[in-house]
Amino acid sequence: MGILRVDELRQSYGAVRAVDGMSFDVERGELFGFLGPNGAGKTTTIRSLTGQIVPDGGTISVLGTDPTTTPLETRRRVGILPEQASPPSFLTPREYLEFVGDVRDLDETTVAAGIERWAERLGFASKLETLHTDLSRGQQQKVMIAQAFIHEPDVVLIDEPLANLDPLVQEQVKQFLTAYAADDNAVFVSTHNIDVAADICTRVGIVADGRIVTERSLANETGDTLLETFLEHVDDADARDMPALERTEIEA
Amino acid sequence: MSGEQTGQDEQQPGQLERVTDIGGGIGSDSGGIGSGTNRLLFTTLLREEWRLHTQLFGGWRFASFPLLIVLLAAAATVALLETGTPPSTIVLGLHALALGFGLYSGTAGFAGSNMLENVFGRLSLVLSSASTLPLSRRRLLGMFLVKDALFYAVVFILPMATAALPIGGRSATTPTELVALWFSLSLVFAAGMTATVALIAVRTRGVPTWTIALALVSAAAGTWALDGSAAIESVRTLAVPLSGSIPAAVGLAGGTALVAAGSLALYDPTYGRPTRTASDRFSQLRAAGDRLPFADDPLVVKTLLDLSRSAGGVWKPFVSAGILLALVAALVGVVREITGIEPAPGIFFGGVLGLAAFTTYNWLTQFDSLEFYLTYPVAIDDVFRAKRAAFVLVGTPAVAVPYLAAVVRFEAALVDAAVGAILLAGYGLYYYGLTVYIAGFDPNEFLFDSVRFGTFTVGVAVAIVPTLVAGFVVVPPTPTLAVGLAVAGIGFGALGVVLSGRAGPKWAERYRDE
Repeated sequence: MGILRVDELRQSYGAVRAVDGMSFDVERGELFGFLGPNGAGKTTTIRSLTGQIVPDGGTISVLGTDPTTTPLETRRRVGILPEQASPPSFLTPREYLEFVGDVRDLDETTVAAGIERWAERLGFASKLETLHTDLSRGQQQKVMIAQAFIHEPDVVLIDEPLANLDPLVQEQVKQFLTAYAADDNAVFVSTHNIDVAADICTRVGIVADGRIVTERSLANETGDTLLETFLEHVDDADARDMPALERTEIEA
Repeated sequence: MSGEQTGQDEQQPGQLERVTDIGGGIGSDSGGIGSGTNRLLFTTLLREEWRLHTQLFGGWRFASFPLLIVLLAAAATVALLETGTPPSTIVLGLHALALGFGLYSGTAGFAGSNMLENVFGRLSLVLSSASTLPLSRRRLLGMFLVKDALFYAVVFILPMATAALPIGGRSATTPTELVALWFSLSLVFAAGMTATVALIAVRTRGVPTWTIALALVSAAAGTWALDGSAAIESVRTLAVPLSGSIPAAVGLAGGTALVAAGSLALYDPTYGRPTRTASDRFSQLRAAGDRLPFADDPLVVKTLLDLSRSAGGVWKPFVSAGILLALVAALVGVVREITGIEPAPGIFFGGVLGLAAFTTYNWLTQFDSLEFYLTYPVAIDDVFRAKRAAFVLVGTPAVAVPYLAAVVRFEAALVDAAVGAILLAGYGLYYYGLTVYIAGFDPNEFLFDSVRFGTFTVGVAVAIVPTLVAGFVVVPPTPTLAVGLAVAGIGFGALGVVLSGRAGPKWAERYRDE
């Protein structure tokens, strides 16, 4: 049984069915790609998985917790990197990570060591005392990645992990995510970037119209490319939101 | 702000396309941009403003907001007239409100700056287009401010001016009186807005905030020290153009236009603060948790750091309370000059200064959002509790200092001062609880929501109107009145605590069920 399990999840906003019968499982050791165009229901699903909203229906289990009834317990046990989130403007990266450690009840030594390790790994050690408001978007994204992993959670949920990062750091983050998942953890990556999903994920669920339309393993992949699988299952109009398709059109 | 962003994104293509069409043939902003471009920019900005408000505040429900202002202005005027308040005092009060609103609206001068965009995202796509279109940021900001001034003059000031109807009664001259009051209020509003924009422009030239603050405090202290009838007369003549001479009104209009133009010329759109670093205050404050109140709570420490490091620092709530004090003191002085009546200063200032709770809470949430906390194992209830703790820590000295200054300056009797202090504490907590319960984490934005604003206004009026009437009628307060008001202060304070305590569960449920 998966450590992250969703069954028949439903959520509507007025007449719009954002999530409509979403079901999937993620096992330990997997880097699961949640791939779909904008508006497919990815962010709503992540918000349900982390107890930020109570869905209209369906069941969710995250590390044995139910985020709809015990959202704080779920959030205590997972790491979350929301899309387009930025750290508090007037705190420094060091202070922010100390804040995160504090609300996660980590001891000071663990937090201090984690700050140094993450700052070194992602290359923001020289910015630890700079206010976030004066950091670039890329630097802020690095700090946000660090906060999601600082407590070394078993499950990490990430919305667009590589946004704003330069190519070198993107590569570092990809390698780290792969290694982290392989170390008996689970990483759930929501993205609309087919290249990213194909590059790092062990398994991908393709999302369209609020549900998973197909799943495929990418380990030892043969046959159709992920792009071809994607085109098979997603409406042409929706698919045009995807960066890889834009590139394909230009090349053609 | 995410919804706002989405909406703006939807507007972007059409707006930019039209502006680009015109800008494309211009070449440079300083060159031959004609009145056609200005007109198009202005109408585009105006359309964007309207869509922003209607999207944020319940679609076309926002359209009813001016009607609500009309109702409030008319009802308050009738009530004040019925309680014997001279019409000149009501007109003065309206001008004080317009001036205060103008000072506040002038902060729109920050729009488009990196600082504001970092905090709120892009408030105006057209304004942000200086980097992509051949239009200077200074010109765009100028148009943006003119648009703001006219928009608010119609949506807010004109409805406020309908207070003229109950004052003058119905006659053939009523339309003229209404228009005259509107012009007068609009002029004061524009003057207030210009003053704030001028300060922002000075700031972009690298003048330190503390220097600006010192100059303002010195000017206020100098005026306060004079206290001559000549000074009061000058203030009244300028602050209420309707009651002054035509040359004075023309002078104010000309001065405002001159300062506005000078401010835009002075404004440096390229100004950027040097990168700031800071030592680890978070861990220092947390380590002092056993000695400092609330320092053992990371949520409180974060709020205090946000406040102290944002522009204006921890002094912002003090300045807001100081402005409120100055407005009320001027009002008291003018009323005394006109009617010979002087209110009980303790009760009067205690009741009114509690309103600073709104601005203090606004500062405490300005750089924060509930969404931020939803990704951590933090209960929304705890976030609101932390805000309340920070409010007590910051708000208490912010209102205590001006209150003490007022009771000393106006020589309040001991009983009056004591009752005023209870009212200040109780009403402050009540206004805080009311704000938090109604507005959640968006105390700034709810001002434009008819239903919430109406509820807030009624909630404030229930406490403040009887108190102010009592403060004017019975001077000094009788023992019975003193006990009654003290009980009211304690009762409203308790109600405020209950309201702020219920705000957490209410807003947590709303966010999770959205």
